[in-house]
Amino acid sequence: MGDEMATTTTVQEPNVKEDVWINTSCGGCYAQCGIRAHRVDGVIVELEGNPETPAGSGRICAKGTAQLMTLYDRYRVNYPVKRTNPEKGVGVDPKWERISWEEAYETIFEKFRNMKDPRGTYFQATTVQTSEIRFAVPAFMKAWGFKNYWVSGGGLWCGNGAHFMNGIMHAAWSIIPDWNYNKYTLYFGCSKGHGAGHAALQSAQWAADARARGMKAVVFDPFLSTQASKAHEWVPIRVGTDGAVALGMINVILNELGIWDAPYLKLKTNAPYLIRPDQHYKRDPETNKPLIWDPKAGRAKTFDDPTIEDYALEGTFEVDGTTCTPAFQLLKEHVKENYPLEKAEKISSVPAATIRRIATEFAEAAEIGRTITIDGKEIPLRPAAAIFFRGSQGHVNSGWNCLEIDLLNHIVGAADVPGGSMGHGPPVSFGHPDTGKPETVPYACPDGLMTVKGWVYDHKPYPLREPAPPQRLDLQDLYPCSVYNAFTICTPEWEKYRKDFNIDYEPEIMINFGSNSVMTMANAEGVTENFLKQFDFVLSFNIYQNEFTEAVADIVLPDASFLERYTPCVTFPSTFCHPTGMDHWVWQIRQPVVEPLHERRDFNEVMLEIAKGLGVQDKYFQAINDLIPVRYGGEMDEEYKLDPSGDYSWQDISDRVLKDRLGPDKGLEALKKTGLEKWPTKVEEMYWRWFTPVRVPIYFEFFLESGKKLQKLLSSFGREDMADYRFYTPLAEWFPCPSHEEEDPTFDLWAFSWRPSFHTQSSTQNNPWLDEVSVNDPFVYLMQINATTGKSKGLKDNDMVWVENPDGNKIKGPVKLVEGMHPEHIGIAGCHGHWARGTPISKGKGQFFDDLINPDLAHTDSLTQGSDACAKVKIYKVAGR
Amino acid sequence: MPRYGFVIDLKRCYGCYSCQVSCKAANFTPRGIDWAQCVPAETGSFPTALRQMLPLVCQQCKEPACKEVCPTGATTQDENGIVLVDKNLCMGCKACIMACPYGARQTVGDWQTYFPDAEGELDPYEAYAKKQWEKKNGYGMATKCDYCKDRVAEGRKPACVESCPAKARTFGDLEDPESEVSMLIRREYGFQLNPEFGTDPACFYLPPR
Repeated sequence: MGDEMATTTTVQEPNVKEDVWINTSCGGCYAQCGIRAHRVDGVIVELEGNPETPAGSGRICAKGTAQLMTLYDRYRVNYPVKRTNPEKGVGVDPKWERISWEEAYETIFEKFRNMKDPRGTYFQATTVQTSEIRFAVPAFMKAWGFKNYWVSGGGLWCGNGAHFMNGIMHAAWSIIPDWNYNKYTLYFGCSKGHGAGHAALQSAQWAADARARGMKAVVFDPFLSTQASKAHEWVPIRVGTDGAVALGMINVILNELGIWDAPYLKLKTNAPYLIRPDQHYKRDPETNKPLIWDPKAGRAKTFDDPTIEDYALEGTFEVDGTTCTPAFQLLKEHVKENYPLEKAEKISSVPAATIRRIATEFAEAAEIGRTITIDGKEIPLRPAAAIFFRGSQGHVNSGWNCLEIDLLNHIVGAADVPGGSMGHGPPVSFGHPDTGKPETVPYACPDGLMTVKGWVYDHKPYPLREPAPPQRLDLQDLYPCSVYNAFTICTPEWEKYRKDFNIDYEPEIMINFGSNSVMTMANAEGVTENFLKQFDFVLSFNIYQNEFTEAVADIVLPDASFLERYTPCVTFPSTFCHPTGMDHWVWQIRQPVVEPLHERRDFNEVMLEIAKGLGVQDKYFQAINDLIPVRYGGEMDEEYKLDPSGDYSWQDISDRVLKDRLGPDKGLEALKKTGLEKWPTKVEEMYWRWFTPVRVPIYFEFFLESGKKLQKLLSSFGREDMADYRFYTPLAEWFPCPSHEEEDPTFDLWAFSWRPSFHTQSSTQNNPWLDEVSVNDPFVYLMQINATTGKSKGLKDNDMVWVENPDGNKIKGPVKLVEGMHPEHIGIAGCHGHWARGTPISKGKGQFFDDLINPDLAHTDSLTQGSDACAKVKIYKVAGR
Repeated sequence: MPRYGFVIDLKRCYGCYSCQVSCKAANFTPRGIDWAQCVPAETGSFPTALRQMLPLVCQQCKEPACKEVCPTGATTQDENGIVLVDKNLCMGCKACIMACPYGARQTVGDWQTYFPDAEGELDPYEAYAKKQWEKKNGYGMATKCDYCKDRVAEGRKPACVESCPAKARTFGDLEDPESEVSMLIRREYGFQLNPEFGTDPACFYLPPR
């Protein structure tokens, strides 16, 4: 603290003793923009964007500015408290009693020491504080010896399907358009560049530049979202049917227009790989490598044979007595046969003529064959992109929906080249010029397909995990592609599931960091009763007493907010913060602009104390040594590794990590002055696709084997019913949600949720400035319904209605009749309708959409185990209103 | 002397409310008072409906209706065309509020905390904000946006311009034909809101599409 952190001094007012600006990183959402905090006499009086960093590029959004009110919020948790009411449950008053930190630690140590089995620990963390959870969560898991975790965005609000498919196709967490060169983008259910936390502020700027330049945007969404309201065209679509439309478009492009980027498909995908009649690759008997057909040589060759003159994409070929077909030919035939436009229209309600026109516009906008020279390197220019996120992936067809949209990019060669769809954060990094770290470059598996080098969680998106008898309480390890499984833990079946799969330990202790999973996983009662109440002891780090803590926490520790703590690695791994295109890499830190107020303490420091108190600090330090190379690209130098027998503070650890990654002169003291270190990006990093010798699948041959292994494994436990194996198919398919198959005509609307750009998951609704904005906005606290539909039901603005799903779950709220809504839908702002005593500002405002969601097997993607977040509903007036 | 003006590009604006919130923070406006209010609106009908945000600031009119009706002379215009209220002369009659066709003025009864259910004193930030508000403005008097006059004097831009993620706002000198604002107005069909009111606003908008 103090002068050493001052970066700018402003004009001093009389009697002002201290007036400084300090560079740090925002924590208002997962974009982690660089900000400057203005501190006057120990009080932060202003936050603004830091123009020195590309992560935010000097701008600040409403959420960021409003974080001042969260820092000083008088409803925050400022002291450790314990629950005195033994009853747990939704809406229960826990009757908090203030305790000392000493008592809190003693209780925590005792609970951990008395565990029957340390494996029964469960870590649950928020995605908002993305960087905070990189160390303490996995390090403690390794040190204490358990594998159960849940990142709360990871349920309904995050991307089992999206991140998995983006990992396979782009080696990245997400995809965004390259607005620098883009001329035409298709958006499916997402708001990137319009308030989404994907490099939020720079994307917003670049998207606005592109709009001003004349970029055409077409948005598929059930409602006139922020993104759609700025687009050239809004295409109203039924929820969850995006993949069917994308497959229809692929059909048009391949079979009607005959447009595709042949060099891209031949060299950068498995499109030319020969497929046998049994759907598997035709392999070279000697090397086991997949074969392609070289039409010039008139024979099959291994895919990487240096003598290949050309690759056949179409036709059928006899190889060693087997009739083989290139994968591309199969895809082309598959979409022709199975996804005619009439079918896509019937599923999605988007007219066939509209699908055909937009497919044509997209394919032509890609300008196949064009190139551009950047930094002396000539590479393809493809100014068209198709992107997606939550809206497309929150369905039973989660994984495939994402893939089907992304296939549009790969067919026209618009992947990770200027103007196209880009892996985000950029997946290729050669590292800081002084250290070569963080370094990550995807590489090819023996079949030639792309494998990521570092990844943010333990199993990589590809190769798929081997299905194995489960060790985790949520049975995640059964499945080859799953990150989290809500359907196992949030249903009454959980105990039976554990029994069926011979899990030989019980849930005992939950550690919760900042998450409010009662409001972010599914219906509150289900999550609480079936999952959270199964733990004997729940320790929670929070800044508010929220629905989670009030329902189940036994001890709540007052966490420091992001303006009160150190975080050494904020912008790496680069999942959400680096913009795409030629700019700079930036390594930002977070530092306390003020000392933690009251008795608040930083989560990272407390977890380190807990590890020390439990006598596992040696394992904790070793775990950090093991994690850093995976998360932050590159082995650690010996001199900066933690000595497991040593004793380090959180600041010591931060300092070592920084020196190891950035150089000996860039430790914590140096970074405190600047808040960041940046270096220029290279064209080979940003537009890496043609510089990196890897292919991606358009034909998912490896799903076949995975599906069979999964079926065998599940059958061996007598639970063959726990997956729908049709999903494990090599060619993209669209599978319906239960809502698409509801037969009772009284359930005549689809309910879906959306996110206002000025809120982050469930964490910002109690912020009074953002609440003022929400009150001001007519679409946030009311449920939007198409005006004609509403009138036909005798409704008018502000009428109170019940929204009820076929299982009888229902929520209540006022309606707003709007024109910007598909006639068959009702749209509800997600994560609203809080009820906790500890968040009086947000209490009772808006509706809690998740109460309509039952995450059972039928509402789960059998491929990625993502949760279905749509429901077929009926609505009716609340009696007496 | 320069005449300060705004250009707000409705094509770039995506309605994120950054301007409204950063204005509040920069000017320490009390609960419920927003000088840079955003007004969302929906027009047209399904499926060709449109939604567009209209971000407002004080229009700093050349012929301000508010000044005309002020009985005490509290409302004045400075050399840059900024319409100001002298807190010592304003008697709080609200004639200006009635007269302003753009709804740019508000009065504040008293400081109200954002945390009404909390016990004890104001938190350090709210205490600071209250002090800052009282230094420059006050209670009972008319208050309004002054294009962040003090920040501009320090060489900074108005808070709403600095924060805008989409760079939808440009601030500058309307008298200088070469300034960015003048060029944007000329080249991109800048227009004033309701020119028929005859007050000649210094805030121009660029069309949404």
